[in-house]
Amino acid sequence: MDTPSERIYLFNRLAKGWAVFRENLMGKIGLTLMIIFALMALASFFTPFLNPMYDPMTGVDPEISHATGPSLRHWLGTDFIGRDIFTQLLEGAKIAFMVGLSAAFISIVLGTIVGMFSGYMGGVVDTLLMRLADMIMVMPSLLILLLLSALFGQLNIWLIVLLIALLRWPGVSRVIRAQTLTLKQRPFIEAAKVAGASHLRVIFRHIMPNVLPLSFLYMTFRVTSAILVEAALAFLGFGDPSQVSWGMMLQWVWKTGHMFQAPYWLLPPGICISLLTLSFYMLGRAMDEVLDPRLRKEEHSD
Amino acid sequence: MKNKLHDHAEIKSTPGWLGFLLLVLLLATLISCQGETPEGLLRIGLPEEPRTLNIWLASDANSRKILTQIYQPLYLRDPKTLKLVPWLAAEDPIYDEEKITYTVKLRQVKWADGSDFTADDVVFTGNVIKEFKVPRYSSKWKAIKKIETPDDYTVIFYLKKPTAVFLSRALTAPMVSRKEWEAVAAEAKTKDKPLRSLQNHRVERPLGTGPFVLKDYKGGAYLHMVRNPHFFGTGQRIGGHLLGPYIDGILFKFYGTSDVAILALKKGNIDMFWWGLQPGYLDDLTRDPDIAVFHNQKSALYYMGFNLRRPPFDDVVLRRAIATIIDKDFIISRILQGYGTILHSVVPPGNQFWHNPQVPHYGDGLNHEQRLKLAYDMLKAAGYSWTEPPVDPDGNVTKGKELHLPDGKPMERFTILTPPADYDPRRAFAGLMIQEWLRNMGLPAYARPMAFSALLQQVKGKRDFDAFILGYGSLNLDPDYVGTFFYSKQDKERGWNMSGYRNKTFDTLRNKQRGEMDRDKRREMLWEMQRILLEDVPYIPLYNPDVLEAARKDRCSGWVEKVGGIGSVWSFCTVKPIGS
Repeated sequence: MDTPSERIYLFNRLAKGWAVFRENLMGKIGLTLMIIFALMALASFFTPFLNPMYDPMTGVDPEISHATGPSLRHWLGTDFIGRDIFTQLLEGAKIAFMVGLSAAFISIVLGTIVGMFSGYMGGVVDTLLMRLADMIMVMPSLLILLLLSALFGQLNIWLIVLLIALLRWPGVSRVIRAQTLTLKQRPFIEAAKVAGASHLRVIFRHIMPNVLPLSFLYMTFRVTSAILVEAALAFLGFGDPSQVSWGMMLQWVWKTGHMFQAPYWLLPPGICISLLTLSFYMLGRAMDEVLDPRLRKEEHSD
Repeated sequence: MKNKLHDHAEIKSTPGWLGFLLLVLLLATLISCQGETPEGLLRIGLPEEPRTLNIWLASDANSRKILTQIYQPLYLRDPKTLKLVPWLAAEDPIYDEEKITYTVKLRQVKWADGSDFTADDVVFTGNVIKEFKVPRYSSKWKAIKKIETPDDYTVIFYLKKPTAVFLSRALTAPMVSRKEWEAVAAEAKTKDKPLRSLQNHRVERPLGTGPFVLKDYKGGAYLHMVRNPHFFGTGQRIGGHLLGPYIDGILFKFYGTSDVAILALKKGNIDMFWWGLQPGYLDDLTRDPDIAVFHNQKSALYYMGFNLRRPPFDDVVLRRAIATIIDKDFIISRILQGYGTILHSVVPPGNQFWHNPQVPHYGDGLNHEQRLKLAYDMLKAAGYSWTEPPVDPDGNVTKGKELHLPDGKPMERFTILTPPADYDPRRAFAGLMIQEWLRNMGLPAYARPMAFSALLQQVKGKRDFDAFILGYGSLNLDPDYVGTFFYSKQDKERGWNMSGYRNKTFDTLRNKQRGEMDRDKRREMLWEMQRILLEDVPYIPLYNPDVLEAARKDRCSGWVEKVGGIGSVWSFCTVKPIGS
């Protein structure tokens, strides 16, 4: 499928994009932050092997059985039953990535497909899909998740991910639909049709490659909202209790009465949530510039 | 006053805008004056609003906190000795062994509206409880054949058979007045569902004999009670306390979260927060010189229960193995932060007379590895096997994988239902830790926090569960509940026997101890019942938490500490405002 010339084109495009990205301070900060968090998430796989007390959920310090401040053994201190806060923070990074990326990925897949079909087909299909999107778009996702977990008891983390994804695709689909509408009028689509390509082929072979960059851009923003929704849910006590997420850590601080007593426990998860969402947002803004030359500053435009 | 008049005089001669400004200032001072609390008013923070003021419906803690200040029983437990002391009654009851009767003499008591409290009201209360089968009380009043009233201040209870728990359970029920309830009861009786109708009756002004009467209730904002001028206890010495009340009234305020209530306490907006504190707040509160923290025992039972009606928990070996794995020391020292005691029996050790210290203590004093090994040996001997056993051939503990039941099938995943962390973090955490311990053993355990009402529905209503962690926060000091919780006749929908435990020997003992009037003999039976239960472990008793409460030192003194904390009618009758 990939001809050498196509590959060279893609490579050139990436190289060019990277050159633009490198000039963008916001993007660089965002990327650095994200790499740090990714390393944290990776590190979380190894901590329990260091010492069983560095297991985020069950590992407790044999000598400490209450909340203590930072020390050499526990860089950020321990929580009220003697678990290491730094380990929990690493584990939280893993969960945040997991929740953020998978929810965002599912929602952009859904959003892109719906958007492309709706834009390309037009007519009744368009009306139906877009009215559905409108309906879902106006639903308050946090409230719905709260209601569902109140009804069905605690939700599993993957169910939460799926629900966030299901509630968050319409925004993506609107943008993709708009893009598809403009693409539809271009000669190369016309040419493909004349050559006898089926609708599916036109959509996936000719339209999709042109909307994908936009989808990925939207993915970075969706990651932010998914992480925030999960954190809010966990903080309010509706998270998955068998996962150590940052929102869950905040809930533990709150419910055990350490909110104003243990800043070393309260601040790290809060700061991490802000920084990680910020990093995805910054990355998104930088990508925006890469993809849309109109956003670039004058001196960088060619 | 003089100054204000002077201001008024001046307003006339000053320009309009200045007058307006002064008026605003005056108003502002007036409003801020209203915000100030009068000296004798005790302000109490509650975690939630009372759900009802109807005594027959009230089962939640907050409604009962309000209503126990209004409706009074014949006998009340002395806060120090925990013995029953006459309250509305004038003296201890006289028991006639031959006729099986209790004769109770009443005090000269008046209802809050000034009318007399008489033996007739006691009969009426008894009739309501019996006729409507009021859930909380009817099982205790069932033993009564008839009630006679030779005069206005004497009541004779004729029992069907000797009943050991009659005094402690039946005569501690709250008394209501015929005047308040007669018409309501008569109307409710004509309905399809009399009890429902009685409970749904909306009570605006509960009429009682207690130290306080309801003055004003603004839903969502506050509930104001003032001193009952007709309170019988004023000036009397009962249970070693000279009763007041010395305060003019109580103002209950409602706070959704502990954080807000504790801030209000620290700022001086409330004088006491009537709710157990999480140990996390303690450091901060003890540092405040104006706040006193009270630390008392509770008569409580927090436990893990199994569903014995279906496999795999119908096997006693599996239940014992789980009891062995659970590290109660860990739960006390870490999850409860040391504020609690380990429970080995279903009667807490604080209830010294009735607590049986010789019940089996599963895995007591062992560390995690030793517990795992012991449980492994128990299960292996009973025919359980593993894909990967938790103890390798060299005797080292590893992570076990996939437990197979004696019939060879792998154990299906099961859930341990717990209340959610925001309702009770301790039980939620205990569930989580137990899940992890069991998983190390190769048991596919899943702790699942669930909204409290849904959890009760699942466990008590539908009986659709594997295991759960629940608790009784204020157990009666009479251990009759041991029989109730595990009686096979209570294994019915909404019955007390949630595990579905059935044991004939146990049932016989349960019925026998109820009629045993000799305390020592009754204790022997109750000890045996506890032993049987802990052999069979339908419930694994976990812990008995202490109750931590806080009140302001600079506003009032004289709190009465007792089992269950400082909030009680005793405290409110003896608390004195500071500075008067």
